[in-house]
Amino acid sequence: MTTTKPRREVARPPFWRDIRVLRVVGQVVAVVIVLLLLRWLYNNLVASFDRLGIALNFDFLTSQTRFRIAYYNEFDPSSPVWQMVLVGIKNTFLAGFFGIILASVIGLIVGVSRLSDNWLVARLATIYVEIFRNIPPLVIIIFFGFALFFFGPFPILSESWELSLGGNNLLILNKDRWAVPGILATGGLTVFWMILAVGVVATYIVWRWRTRVFDDTGQPHHRVLWSVGVLLGFFLVGYLATGTPLEMSWPVITEDRRLFQGGFAFNWGFISLTAALGLYTASHIGEIVRGSILAVHGGQSEAANALALSAFQRYRFVVLPQAMRIALPPTINQYLNLVKNTSLGVAVGYAEITALTRTSIGNGRPTFQSIIILMAVYLGFSLVISLILNIVNRRFTLVER
Amino acid sequence: MKRSKLLVALAALALVFAACTDAGGGDDTTTTADAGGEGNGDGAPAGGRLAAVQEAGVIVCGVNETLPGFGVIDDEGNFSGFDVDFCRVVAAGILGDAEAVEFFPLTAEARFPALQSGEIDLMIRNTTWTALRDGQEGATFLHTTFYDGQGMMVPADTGFTELEDLANANICVLSGTTTELNLTAVLDSRGIPFNPIVFEDNTQLRPAYEEGQCEAWTSDASQLAAFKASIEDEGGAEQFIMAEIFSKEPLGPVVADGDSEWAQAVEWTVMATVQAWEFGIDSSNVDGFQSDHPDVQNLLGAGTDEAAGLDLPADFAVQIITQVGNYEEIYNRHIPGIGIALEGTPNDLWTNGGLQYVPPYH
Repeated sequence: MTTTKPRREVARPPFWRDIRVLRVVGQVVAVVIVLLLLRWLYNNLVASFDRLGIALNFDFLTSQTRFRIAYYNEFDPSSPVWQMVLVGIKNTFLAGFFGIILASVIGLIVGVSRLSDNWLVARLATIYVEIFRNIPPLVIIIFFGFALFFFGPFPILSESWELSLGGNNLLILNKDRWAVPGILATGGLTVFWMILAVGVVATYIVWRWRTRVFDDTGQPHHRVLWSVGVLLGFFLVGYLATGTPLEMSWPVITEDRRLFQGGFAFNWGFISLTAALGLYTASHIGEIVRGSILAVHGGQSEAANALALSAFQRYRFVVLPQAMRIALPPTINQYLNLVKNTSLGVAVGYAEITALTRTSIGNGRPTFQSIIILMAVYLGFSLVISLILNIVNRRFTLVER
Repeated sequence: MKRSKLLVALAALALVFAACTDAGGGDDTTTTADAGGEGNGDGAPAGGRLAAVQEAGVIVCGVNETLPGFGVIDDEGNFSGFDVDFCRVVAAGILGDAEAVEFFPLTAEARFPALQSGEIDLMIRNTTWTALRDGQEGATFLHTTFYDGQGMMVPADTGFTELEDLANANICVLSGTTTELNLTAVLDSRGIPFNPIVFEDNTQLRPAYEEGQCEAWTSDASQLAAFKASIEDEGGAEQFIMAEIFSKEPLGPVVADGDSEWAQAVEWTVMATVQAWEFGIDSSNVDGFQSDHPDVQNLLGAGTDEAAGLDLPADFAVQIITQVGNYEEIYNRHIPGIGIALEGTPNDLWTNGGLQYVPPYH
């Protein structure tokens, strides 16, 4: 390759017709235009704010919030605005987290069901998908709020339904909140958490060891049993060694039937929002799962059948692992959408970050800066989700050897 | 090849940034020039809004379209209400035509940005005058057209009669309103624990309240009166509004800071309705109203070309009263219908013991 003919001089066209020059110039011009546009917008903003005498800074973050947050009584109205932002982020995270779990589980079931040989199951799954996929999420959220709670079957707080066992309430249901028993820390937990962390590492090592034993010798691995046993052991040892720092917190309604205490309570706004978004997104994920399963080559199923695997084994060990690989990237999009859609929570009075920001703006906090923070929060959420799932995706991607 | 492209791009970037920072140094001159060249819609340099409005022949007025008595849209898309009529007052006074108004429905959160950006000329949208808004939002609040205060409504069968009864209650409130701050301030200062449930608008709040999702509804007393009447009319449970009014809510027109000429023009047209009421001038007798009182002659523009140098037409008050009416007429057209009679409220004329008092038209 190195011994070539002497280079021939190519007659180059004039520079205004030279594709190589034009390409570079085109890109430079595009960049310049975009930057000038941004600069123009920014100057407009600054000039307008100057004229109106409005400050363009973030000092308001340290001023007092001055309003209370629904179902978050520990929030002190005199705390600074940035703490309100943190509460909003936490609530958005909770709705997004539970929504994603719900959407994934239901989506998987629906996607597999749509391909079921059972006529009824397949039709039901189709109806589900067509209904939820074709209604805007906001409408579903409001529907849940109205149907489950406003006009729903649940009683008001003072007449709550209580399901109790041995004097302790296992479940309390009313128009306002659904409560289950919670776990409450009574002492310092640092040591306990450290012991538990060691336990998690140990569990992982045991899991790897059992897997290797299985790979090497073909003996049954029982890795789930082993791991759970190890983790439980660490939990018990830690729990006893640190002086039983946890206790059950049972939900109760106070004697005057006015107040709700203890346990872990989901408020109606959270339930409406999470259920609606979970079911809505599940219809999309279901379609992704269905498409991914169909994309796995038919020969794989036939091979599994030839090995006399049961239908469950065929899905669990042959089809789904390959389908997941295809399903993951579009599913990431659905997760991102779900988290962004939590901003609709204001419709059911759920105090997520958008609702709180709007309240804060209405109470005299600067609009522009507040929206900037809001955008940064959602951007952060989306980037973190993308990052995590992209790492997962890389692990799952077929490694070509 | 690739590397050289990158270099060229970087060089271009550096050039642009350099240009930007250069311009940044002499920012004052560029931005002023920019602001001047933006036309009628945007802010306009000092003194420009009035001329711009007269040129355009229409006033863009931000209103609420979901508040019975103050601003609603009917089935045919017509706006009506107390606040809406004051938009018409301003149009009649400045442009001589009460219909030369373009109504601009605004949510609570969007109202100040709309004002700041110059999208609307003024806003009459049950907006409470507060120090924070006056200062941070770049807004100028004008003559208070409606003195309101925050109240609390509960279903009558709860037997609650005072705020102390509401300990640990869920209380419904609209987001982005001063009501929310008052609620927290008042109840916290009295040590009454409560849980606020915040809604975006009344279409969601009302069913939540009626179905017992929250045990109380707090808002401006005028709004509660309107909703009490509406709920009871439609066969809902009987409602009770607590006697205590626990905040001051002065509501009136708002314009953007930095254009005092425009602010004055709006201020005096609005105040003319109160002055006319005080003089006993209304839409039925304004034609040929006779009085030797010089202030009346000033108000009605007899013998002067321009109303006191305010850049308003000489007959601005006549146009307002003929086309829209005086304050009393406007009030009685909308507010008694939601259950608040004028007499004895703070909105009565000062000579009757109320708070409606305007400077003299000398």
